[in-house]
Amino acid sequence: MTGTNKTSALRMGLLVFIFLAILTGIEFGIAILLNFWQLLLLVALIKAGLVMYYYMHIYKLFVADENADKESYAYKLVTNRLGLWLFIVSDSFIFGGLMIARVNLLGLNRPELDQALGLVVTSVLLISSFFMNRAETAMAHGDRKTFLASTLITMLLGIGFVAGVLGVEWQIAPFGPSDGPQGAVFYTMTGFHAFHVLTGVIFLFIIFRNGLKGHYSPEKHWGVEACTVYWHFVDVVWIFFYPALYLIGTVI
Amino acid sequence: MKKFFSLGLVRGLVFELIGTALGIGFITGIRALMGLETKGAFGFSEPAWVFGALLGAVCFMVGVGVLRDWFKWARGEETEEHHDDSHLGWRRYFGPSLDHKVIGIQYLITALVLMVFGGLFALIFRTELAKSGLQFLTTTFKVFDQSGLQLYNTLMSLHGMVMIVSILLGIAALMNYAVPLLIGARDMAFPRLNAFSFWIAVPAGVILLSSLFLGGFETGWTGYPPLSARAPLGMQMFFLGVSLAGFSSIFGALNIIVTVIRMRAPGMNPFRMPIFVWAAIATSIISLTATQLIGLSFQMVMFQRLFGVGFFDPAQGGNPVLFQHLFWFYSHPAVYVFVLPGLGLISELLPVFVRKPLFGYKWVAMSSLGIALVGFLVWGHHMFTSGMAEYLRVPFMYSTLLVAVPTGVKFFSWVGTVWRGKIEFPTPMLFILAGIVVFLLGGLTGPPNATVSTDLHLHDTYFIVGHFHDTMFGGYIFPFFAALYFWYPKVTGRRMNEVLGKIHFWLMTPSFLVLTLAMMRVGLLGMRRRIADYDPALGFDPSHLVMTIAGFLIALSILVFFINLIYSVKRGELATGNLWNSRSPEWQAPSPMPAHNYEQPFEVVGEPYDYGLPGSAYVNMKGNDHDGNQ
Repeated sequence: MTGTNKTSALRMGLLVFIFLAILTGIEFGIAILLNFWQLLLLVALIKAGLVMYYYMHIYKLFVADENADKESYAYKLVTNRLGLWLFIVSDSFIFGGLMIARVNLLGLNRPELDQALGLVVTSVLLISSFFMNRAETAMAHGDRKTFLASTLITMLLGIGFVAGVLGVEWQIAPFGPSDGPQGAVFYTMTGFHAFHVLTGVIFLFIIFRNGLKGHYSPEKHWGVEACTVYWHFVDVVWIFFYPALYLIGTVI
Repeated sequence: MKKFFSLGLVRGLVFELIGTALGIGFITGIRALMGLETKGAFGFSEPAWVFGALLGAVCFMVGVGVLRDWFKWARGEETEEHHDDSHLGWRRYFGPSLDHKVIGIQYLITALVLMVFGGLFALIFRTELAKSGLQFLTTTFKVFDQSGLQLYNTLMSLHGMVMIVSILLGIAALMNYAVPLLIGARDMAFPRLNAFSFWIAVPAGVILLSSLFLGGFETGWTGYPPLSARAPLGMQMFFLGVSLAGFSSIFGALNIIVTVIRMRAPGMNPFRMPIFVWAAIATSIISLTATQLIGLSFQMVMFQRLFGVGFFDPAQGGNPVLFQHLFWFYSHPAVYVFVLPGLGLISELLPVFVRKPLFGYKWVAMSSLGIALVGFLVWGHHMFTSGMAEYLRVPFMYSTLLVAVPTGVKFFSWVGTVWRGKIEFPTPMLFILAGIVVFLLGGLTGPPNATVSTDLHLHDTYFIVGHFHDTMFGGYIFPFFAALYFWYPKVTGRRMNEVLGKIHFWLMTPSFLVLTLAMMRVGLLGMRRRIADYDPALGFDPSHLVMTIAGFLIALSILVFFINLIYSVKRGELATGNLWNSRSPEWQAPSPMPAHNYEQPFEVVGEPYDYGLPGSAYVNMKGNDHDGNQ
């Protein structure tokens, strides 16, 4: 819960989204005009930091809890958060390994891809992140209608992203998976990421359905929070994959 | 029949079989529709086999029933926190129990089964090596589509990986059983994830072993491309099995870390935790993170074989050395995953048997973390001869030598603890002392391998094999047996037979020392590892014969251990109280441990290892059954 009341919390989410959108635009500009990878890395780090702090609420891990009853929901909630974040740490080593493979094989070259299409799918994922945050904020304040609508939109945007990458990008790319290192790197990185997006969509469907049945309350909605953090994590991965695949360096 | 089918394990295996058949059929059907080749080695195409094995593993998990509660949660249903299954008796060990003690035993049995497999593989190829020339694994020998020489390679490779999985499950057994008891928790933080972590290891083991029947593989346990990119079908089963076993390790580690952070008894601040818990944390940090990279590197080779992506194929602009970097980033820290719990156990049990405080508690606790963290920076020492950039060699050499510092801290502490203690020598203590000696041998033979100049000579010789087995036995096998003899009464309420235990020890230890010292000797003289035959002119025949005999003696000692293990369940001497006169909380509760662990959470009131200090206490049991021994 980023604010004391719903309106200010929702406004905060919107503000962060606007920042992220501007940074994405700047990133694109840097890639087109300057081609300076250190700057791109810096922008990606700022974006990831914004998402992790404002959307994933990483600070909640460090909130001291005085609750002594280990069987209480509040105590277990903190335990669950820790577990989820450790999973994210673990998972990010897969993506880190893929990134190392990309740097090792391609260096300052990038696959021969349509940069405009990359910007479109990235925007779709970014907008889905905004709605995801909106859904969680709404549920934290007991607004079930906004929660359901936003979750549905997030889910549709997630499907749109997968369709954009697997359905369009994979089909129009001028190289196949077996065409040199760019094929290996591009198809494996996007494939692993799309797999995570798909699991996220399933997760979204589950919380949508349970939300429809009224299983969540402002006090008890760990399922929603977990889904939100996971979805934003998948977004953070793309924040690094997008420049690595579409923006850095020159076409191979 | 219906009762038999109600066992989770049986149901799981039947489901796995069905799932595999469905997966193979599905891919074969699709390939037929697309007009692709549907036949291949062992009847079906390689993608069909891989997808079949994967779907089989998923179906196994569904069949066992470990996913049931999660499915209910997804449907919005509530479930009980714990399912009480103590009324099931022995049957609960074959089903999806949520009790960490049951899961610990399940891990243990699986680890021992895999250890037997791995050991048998070793005995077969050790027999082949007893004499120069080819004995029975000859070129005309043919089984499972492999010639004798190929089978030698498969068995040698499988011995490595099966033992590794066995060790991972073995340490998981110890951590699962002991950590919640040591910190006074009711159970692990995530009981369902705990059950999942165990059960995924079963199909992983099945798939890994199936590689033996599906053509085998010839790469050694490392699976380096380009050889692994064109090895027989068994290679894929090996990759898939290891990837799945990795999930077991990752989620188990996650559970341990969260449990220790969140579930400790009141008063147990970090520096009053038992040393074994510190070791479990250090191990889990490595398993949680680095394991993903061995999974990734293996999956990348799988994709190279399935989809033709060219990560490691130089002809396609790939880089085989990249595989080695990704692989060793896990596989070096992995040896610390194997030994840290064992070294923690030595520190944990030593004070009990010398009746003295552990020397330098904080330093020992920190040394485990130190080894774990430095362990992330040393992987390149496996690649001094790989052709990686030359300027990388020296930093990796120094970072590797740095590991000796925290390890030295541990040895110093052990010596300081034993010094002038009132030493008792029951079986667990014998295994601990031998563990220290053997690990010292393994430790001292490490720096020559880490130093570039000497490694260029020693790389890929039997010296490495000897060194490695010393570290594994000293850091895992000896402490592991010590822990089994030590905690057996806690699990069963009976102790293991001391005479058989001592026979086990006195058979195994000298044989093992002879085995590894002979390995190092022939290694220094130039014996290459991983080969089925050697030149008689080298004069290694007597040494190899001695090694083979020593190997069989070790197997005999393990047989004695198994007889003892099974015999003592029903016939062992009753031991329900604080048998070892330990200060640790689990020994203040009755044996076998009640299903709910402690009646009430105990409170930590003092230092854990103040043995021999009058009037000191570690825990206040507050109404738990107390046997009065202190």
